[in-house]
Amino acid sequence: MASALTVLRRLYLSIYNWTVFIGWFQVLFLALKTLKESGHENVYNAVEKPLLLAQSAAVLEILHGLIGLVRSPVSSTLPQIGSRLYLTWGILWSFPEIRTHVLVTSLVISWAITEIIRYSFFGMKEAFGFAPSWHLWLRYSTFLVLYPTGITSEVGLIYFSLPYIKASEKYCIRMPNKWNFSFDNFYAAILTLGIYVPGSPHMYRYMLGQRKRALSKSKKE
Amino acid sequence: MKVNLVSRSGREFIKGGLELNDSATVADLQEAIHKRTKKFYPSRQRLTLPVPSGSRERPVVLNYKKSLKDYCEGNENSLTVVFKDLGPQVSYRTLFFFEYLGPLILYPVFYYFPVYKFFGYEGFTHPVHHPVQTYALYYWCFHYFKRILETFFVHRFSHATSPLSNVFRNCAYYWTFGLYIAYYVNHPLYTPVGDLQMKIGFGFGLVCQLANFYCHIILKNLRGPDGSGGYQIPRGFLFNIVTCANYTTEIYQWLGFNIATQTVAGYVFLVVATSIMTNWALTKHRRLKKLFDGKDGRPKYPRRWVILPPFL
Repeated sequence: MASALTVLRRLYLSIYNWTVFIGWFQVLFLALKTLKESGHENVYNAVEKPLLLAQSAAVLEILHGLIGLVRSPVSSTLPQIGSRLYLTWGILWSFPEIRTHVLVTSLVISWAITEIIRYSFFGMKEAFGFAPSWHLWLRYSTFLVLYPTGITSEVGLIYFSLPYIKASEKYCIRMPNKWNFSFDNFYAAILTLGIYVPGSPHMYRYMLGQRKRALSKSKKE
Repeated sequence: MKVNLVSRSGREFIKGGLELNDSATVADLQEAIHKRTKKFYPSRQRLTLPVPSGSRERPVVLNYKKSLKDYCEGNENSLTVVFKDLGPQVSYRTLFFFEYLGPLILYPVFYYFPVYKFFGYEGFTHPVHHPVQTYALYYWCFHYFKRILETFFVHRFSHATSPLSNVFRNCAYYWTFGLYIAYYVNHPLYTPVGDLQMKIGFGFGLVCQLANFYCHIILKNLRGPDGSGGYQIPRGFLFNIVTCANYTTEIYQWLGFNIATQTVAGYVFLVVATSIMTNWALTKHRRLKKLFDGKDGRPKYPRRWVILPPFL
């Protein structure tokens, strides 16, 4: 007996997942099209709108986890979404000089393929109650390649933006001030790079564990 | 009597088991295990009774003072005990000493030495301080000195030891925050608050530190000098109103420090410390309520705030 709330929840999540899926599909399509037609320097400009929208929508997922709408633990989604938002808004949107770098293309394509598979997977489950096994396989296997390519792109872009971050003083707060606080964006970026060192193997191992669980579970069914 | 020692996976941990006196205590068993295995000294051993597989009950931990016979079912002259290695242990005193030593030593470095030139502030070779920065130094150092003294002369710990890994984790927490706050309060471009605010902050903080000390004395008196006595209902002073009055006074004391020094770093530390202590307080409050349920002659735990009236 599906209660009204369950139906509402499934409806909302279906709409959410398929909408964001369309966003990421646009990103991939425009990225590949621009790459073919003009070159990697123009990829960012072509994908900017759907990218900013689709990536920012992910913030809702933290909310979903907090209010119990979905089962994913907030602890694993937070670092993932954090790094995505940092790259999207904190690096690409804030420092235009980096937008023409070739790593933007690899970043955007890695993210887009991963998200297309992920959102359609959840979209299928919420709307139709199931997802085919090849879909499950894709969801838990493509990360094997896309995590390294994505993480390399993220780290590379942060690294190559460092001179622009230092020169622009953007988001920096200097002393003296009433709250005796300071923030140096340049050193914060370096610290962030440092976090990737233990963070990346941790995330990769976590996904390997998830893969083992998900794929063995489906074999048993 | 014969004691069979198994690991949590069911594998026999000591081949052939151990032979002990019928009147042996758990402590004797721990000694025997230590003698046999060399590596696993008693504080590293966690000994429990086996739990039927599939059962979700928490295993019964063997109390070192009780005799083994107390854990034997009926008239049996043998016992099966599950062994778990807790990893290398350090005494709580060692742990606390090192985690408090960092802030005590590192903070004055930022006050007395021209460290800010390494952060790009050339020319500030002879540190000149606002009065509030000097009082903050005294307050901070008094606080951590008090903590170290309490560690050695006041606190009575229910567990003698803590895992070694906690040394690194706890020192990272205290030392990093110590450095973070010391950097800002002693900064050459530090902006002090008004005189009245400073006095209110430090005054209030000091009163709370004294109250906190008194809370620690009350808690100490709940137990014997060897840490025996287990869990008791704390009574008297602020404990009549709030279960973890010691944490409450600690939180308010940091609030006092922050009101006087006004740094974002200090307030961040306050928020983090408060959430950690709130977690502990909830656990302790729940444990005391569960233990003192009013049945079988046990007193019933009175209605009290957990840690921060009127919120929790």
